[in-house]
Amino acid sequence: MNLGATLAKTGSRVVLVDADIGLRNLDLVLGLEKRIVFDLVEVVEERCQLRQALIRDKRFESLFLLPASQTRDKDAVSEEQFAAVVDQAAETADYVLVDSPAGIEAGFRNAVAGANEAIVVTTPEVSAIRDADRVIGKLSDRGLPVRLIVNRLRPEMVHSGDMLSVDDVCEVLGVELLGIVPDDEEIIDTTNRGEPLALDDSKRLTAIYQKIVRRLEGELVPFTTFDNGYRQGLFGRLFAGLRAG
Amino acid sequence: MHVLSQTGEAVAAPEERVTTGETTKLGRAIVVTSGKGGVGKTTTTANLGTALAQRGARVALIDADVGLRNLDIVLGLENRVQHHLLDVLEETATIDDALVPDKHSEGLFLLAAAQAREKDEVDTEKMRALVASLRERFDYVIIDSPAGIEKGFKNAVAGAQEAIVVCTPEVSSVRDVDRVVGLLGNRFRPQLVINRVRPQLVKKGTMLSVEDVDAFLRLPLLGVIADEPQIIVTTNRGEPLALQRDGKTAAAYHAIAARVAGEDVPPPQVELPKPTLFQRLFRGGRA
Repeated sequence: MNLGATLAKTGSRVVLVDADIGLRNLDLVLGLEKRIVFDLVEVVEERCQLRQALIRDKRFESLFLLPASQTRDKDAVSEEQFAAVVDQAAETADYVLVDSPAGIEAGFRNAVAGANEAIVVTTPEVSAIRDADRVIGKLSDRGLPVRLIVNRLRPEMVHSGDMLSVDDVCEVLGVELLGIVPDDEEIIDTTNRGEPLALDDSKRLTAIYQKIVRRLEGELVPFTTFDNGYRQGLFGRLFAGLRAG
Repeated sequence: MHVLSQTGEAVAAPEERVTTGETTKLGRAIVVTSGKGGVGKTTTTANLGTALAQRGARVALIDADVGLRNLDIVLGLENRVQHHLLDVLEETATIDDALVPDKHSEGLFLLAAAQAREKDEVDTEKMRALVASLRERFDYVIIDSPAGIEKGFKNAVAGAQEAIVVCTPEVSSVRDVDRVVGLLGNRFRPQLVINRVRPQLVKKGTMLSVEDVDAFLRLPLLGVIADEPQIIVTTNRGEPLALQRDGKTAAAYHAIAARVAGEDVPPPQVELPKPTLFQRLFRGGRA
């Protein structure tokens, strides 16, 4: 959601596809849940056109959502059908971002079917990293280039040795790093309200997503060390003149 | 809160569990599920299992997340797993060989998931039979469900009679739980654990409160767990927090276990954190 909105803000045409059939959420975090008329399954079943099902975002003109169906199963769509919808969306968009469901079952296989690149999101926890490793293996088998976002990093815990560092995570997983997102209450607040961070440049995380987007577009953007750069507490902020990436 | 009487009712012993002399006493099979990934099913399962075992119960934990297992890591048993769930279902290993005794808690056992296999390979009927046979030997069989509502979820639910649903105070997680409760139907008497609550954020109004979640889901509330760095540390180390006797979060897990066991313990409370140094300075000293 935040990647899509940030991409759209820089002028790209972006289609977000919610592949979590039966447990959709992307509509909610975008604040578009009341605007859904048609969904992905109806497009696949040719009960509507793709353009009828796409919902234009309220705030970003070039951002569109293809919502998942809430009352159907993941089995309602085959990999080929899913890939065909993604291909069709890609004809008119610069980016099609497919939000995969958790796990590695049919829903995951569908989400991956139409993609030609993958972003794997993990947290710096042993269990999450093991899952990410398994997923990266599956994506590599399909020949997809994989890049990594480390999410929910708590710099103060890394500092005290209670959390794996980004370097540790990258060493285990051995894939290219796309971004580091600290564990920040802004995420909870903005997703609950359905407001992408890109709306507000004063938010701490907005700059971080902008950096990720620049890397996604091929720019070389250096990573900020969080060691003394990013603290949520007042003291941290006083002592370190903030701004992280 | 309406939860307590309902909780008491939910755990009132069904007929087959009544320990009347020599009659067979069947354990309770409880599935832990959530819809959304990463909300704390595995952590909840490990801590509930540990806390129940510390109370003297015999507990079997089943990791139903075939292909993405984690319960072994959270319990610190990853190097001790020899056989897994699919070996047992396919009868290439006996259940006695496959159950790994926990390092820390007597009476606690793990049946690990296979890491290199797929969920589609699990036969739902065999899973049901396995859980039924474990109920004859254990007081509790706790099944850690994978995220989602696909085959893995259906397998995890197959042998269970009760459900614990875990959510975080976020709208997307609450919506997923609501959907899962619908899919569970009327059989499982789902009870709720609200995980990763940050009292400061609730106070600021940026996070849903326990009351908000309760108002939406209307489920019997089993427990509320704060978002504590300690939980990340202990799961990384493979030593569930419930092994500790002190601390609020450990106590919250013990309270959940007590409530599951049918004790009439007070309803879950989330206390506001102690004021920070900064706040204390401004208020002129400790409260």
